[in-house]
Amino acid sequence: MSNLSIPDFSRRGFLKVTGAAAGLALIPGLAACAESKTQTGSGGAAGTLKFWDMPWSTGTYDKASQALVAAYKPAKGLPGAALQRIQWNNFTTTFSSALASKTGPAASSGGGFQAFQFADQGYIAMADNLISTWEKEGFKKDFLPGTIEAMKTDKGYVGVPWQSDYRVWWYRKSLFDDAGATIPTTWDELMTAGAALKKKGYFGFGLGAGAGNSFGVQGIVMMMINNGGGIFSPDGKLDLLNERNVEAIDFVIELVKAGISDRASVSYSADNLLAQWKNKKNAFGIHTAGLNDSIGDTTGDLVVASPLTGPHGDKAILAYVNSIMMYTNTPSQQATEAFVSYYIKNMKSYWQQGVISALPVLQSIVDLPEFQKDEAKAKVVKEYQPVAKTFGARSDKLFGAIGQVDGSQPLNQFAQAVLGGRTDAKSALTTLQQGLSSIVKS
Amino acid sequence: MTSTTTATSTRERRAPGTPGGRRFKPGTWTMFFLALPSIVLLLLIHGWPLIQAFRQSLHDGTLINPGQFVGLQNYIDNLNSPTFWKAAGFTVVFTVVGVFGSWIIGLGLALLLRTRIPAGGIFKVLLLLPWVVPIVVSSTAINWLVATSSSPIPMLFENLGLAPPLFLADPTWARILVCVFKVWVSFPFMMLMSSAALASVDETVYEAARMDGASSPQQLRWITLPIIARSTYISWILMTIFCVNDFPTIFLLTGGGPIDATNSLVVLAYRTVFQNQQVGLGVAVAFMMTVVLVVIATLLYRQIRKAAI
Repeated sequence: MSNLSIPDFSRRGFLKVTGAAAGLALIPGLAACAESKTQTGSGGAAGTLKFWDMPWSTGTYDKASQALVAAYKPAKGLPGAALQRIQWNNFTTTFSSALASKTGPAASSGGGFQAFQFADQGYIAMADNLISTWEKEGFKKDFLPGTIEAMKTDKGYVGVPWQSDYRVWWYRKSLFDDAGATIPTTWDELMTAGAALKKKGYFGFGLGAGAGNSFGVQGIVMMMINNGGGIFSPDGKLDLLNERNVEAIDFVIELVKAGISDRASVSYSADNLLAQWKNKKNAFGIHTAGLNDSIGDTTGDLVVASPLTGPHGDKAILAYVNSIMMYTNTPSQQATEAFVSYYIKNMKSYWQQGVISALPVLQSIVDLPEFQKDEAKAKVVKEYQPVAKTFGARSDKLFGAIGQVDGSQPLNQFAQAVLGGRTDAKSALTTLQQGLSSIVKS
Repeated sequence: MTSTTTATSTRERRAPGTPGGRRFKPGTWTMFFLALPSIVLLLLIHGWPLIQAFRQSLHDGTLINPGQFVGLQNYIDNLNSPTFWKAAGFTVVFTVVGVFGSWIIGLGLALLLRTRIPAGGIFKVLLLLPWVVPIVVSSTAINWLVATSSSPIPMLFENLGLAPPLFLADPTWARILVCVFKVWVSFPFMMLMSSAALASVDETVYEAARMDGASSPQQLRWITLPIIARSTYISWILMTIFCVNDFPTIFLLTGGGPIDATNSLVVLAYRTVFQNQQVGLGVAVAFMMTVVLVVIATLLYRQIRKAAI
């Protein structure tokens, strides 16, 4: 101990010793970091596959999904699977850091375009083999039209569909009755009905574009797609300034200026938007297929309207087909495919138990009596599914750029500018084109 | 070799205790080794991420791929971006209003509470509430009060026959609301700082001033403010850092909108990294903010040293 108490110790010496000690201490840490990069950690420890699942619904979904994964009995020689729940908050960061450090899952559910983004960066194991197996088994026919195609890229299928999320036109019957308005089926009728509703203080184009609320963006993009336009050209390039888009945005701005859309909706959070539906302020608007569940409406006053027809006769709605994706970092691709195949073939239990509000992608689930008794959702699948299109509406396949665009800052600003009515269509679309160009790496 | 030898011999010639060879007291090594784990931890926790972040700011990567080395291009892109300058402008407004608005109210209340008023203690506790309540709670309350057409304040306007302002949807109103909210949550901190500084002022100084005929404003200008100057500068430095780095106040109320009207630099950094997935560009914004903050803090720190008392 006496050696430690050296009296003759200059300040410069102190700094030198401190620096050296810190450097020495850092080396193992750095070495550990470097080492972790060279380890081939896989999507599961030996004996298990890691399956990451999002909280798709509250409460009972958790138990149902745990039971479904726990019931998986792998074929001889293949590993079992373990479920891990991943929260939506910063989920892209969670997945990104796990994949970069090779501690990610073998398979997962996740964001609508997550598979496309990660596929672009080489982390996704294509599902072509699995889909081909299903084709041979005859199981592929069970998928609703367009759902498997929604996974298609130049490199292959980035995942397999397991549920879909449509943007749906809803109306409040009592408010239309009060205003003496007819439920619109075309854009012109929407303008007429909106004007009648406005006189009674109701809104005929209910959206919201505040912090964290993507319904504004989705609703406006849906109007562009409904009119035969979209964000991308058929070959996957940004193409905002086409005539159909300009016409669609002009129409939305007209709705805003006529007071049919609430100007305050620019700042509506998702909860504010639900409150407007619940408080009977919104009479007509775009939301998910589970709007009635979200606000606890059991009176039947909230009704699904049919998809609108645009001024050129186009009929289309925006859909997100959510996938189960497989990752290249897996103990065994054969094992991952076996698990995913089991999961998709047995997931009907979610709809039988009524623990999920998303829409099924399998005809066998749509036909279940448990699903058919929900008239609203049954109507959505029947009328919306045939006209459903994704963000890449005009292309027959999707691409990674969609993932970069969805949820980006320029799109949110665009929605706020349009719903605020402080712009014209061409200016708003030009700004959006410029903003997205800086994000999308071609 | 010659210069090294000369330097060494100069050091050797110095007697212990002379100005060029200051020595540590006995036991310094012991203290150093006791502090070593903390020093190492600090370097690991702060130093390593900082180095990594700086490295990212020199690349054009995403959250998952480091990307190509682009040198200072991200910094140049930010300096050429109107969005960056708009965010910088709002950050300045937000900070100036936040610092001086909360200081004026905080000092005023501290002076008021210095006088003997009934139930002064209860008032002190109540006035601390905006600072104590979590931002997520108070911002939710503000949102509930003003956000939709069926919120209480717009309804009040409507019942009075007035057009309700779009508090969160109109760019000007949103800026005002965010700044006012910041002042509201921050003034208790300034009040505490000012109260602590005022407690150290000798009452006899005021008595002497009053005998010399100084009015209340003169006492405030020539006695109170100079005496509490050091504490005031410290509170300004702290509040400047709080304001520039304030993410939740803005993000929870407006998310930086509408149309970037309340986009501050810290919100811009977050949105660039996590919404646009342009990691290098976003981290560069954060580093530029840090540099500016260090400059501001240094300038204010110099003022502290210059303060008379």
